[in-house]
Amino acid sequence: MPLYEHVFLARQDLAQAQVDALAEGATKIVESLEGKVTKVENWGLRNLAYKIAKNRKAHYVMLNIDGPAGTVAELERQTAINEDVIRYMTIRVDELEGEPSVMMRKSDRDRERRGGRDGGRGDREGGRGDREGGRGRDREEATGE
Amino acid sequence: MARPFFRRRKSCPFAAKDAPKIDYKDVRLLQGFVSERGKIIPSRITAVSGKKQRELSQAIKRARHLGLLPYIVK
Repeated sequence: MPLYEHVFLARQDLAQAQVDALAEGATKIVESLEGKVTKVENWGLRNLAYKIAKNRKAHYVMLNIDGPAGTVAELERQTAINEDVIRYMTIRVDELEGEPSVMMRKSDRDRERRGGRDGGRGDREGGRGDREGGRGRDREEATGE
Repeated sequence: MARPFFRRRKSCPFAAKDAPKIDYKDVRLLQGFVSERGKIIPSRITAVSGKKQRELSQAIKRARHLGLLPYIVK
């Protein structure tokens, strides 16, 4: 059966639990139509490069799907209806990545940094803080070893 | 024979064995192939091969659609 990567963006004001529920719902749709979801990846709340439906940030979730084309058609139909999902994309791939994608490797680092500043309002200021935090952490690691 | 304006052509950055895979999710990689304005840099400047440039532009367009890369930076 063909392999697909399905990425969707959920509105920024949803709680993580609601995002998980969305992913769960998508998984159910796929499984009810003889498809398999081999991996669910949560990229977390990321800044968007441009505003989408008045959102500056969005929760990214990626599903790896192994199933017939009809599954994807149904999944896309239902995703398009859902107002909590601001954007989605499904692409066919030759092979699915087994291990975590690039995004996870990178966002692991991002999440650690994000822990340091909560409720940081200004994006640009937050960005600078991030970088300093990163450097500080590197130094700690260096001294630790 | 001396050829004053001859410069050896750089090889494609994706031709090497351990070259990174072109993937729409790899934002950091793709960012190296867009200009400050967010436009895709022509392959005559980056020396990416024709085949890889097509893959690359597809990946950049996918990343743009998902809000990972900007369409334009003002």
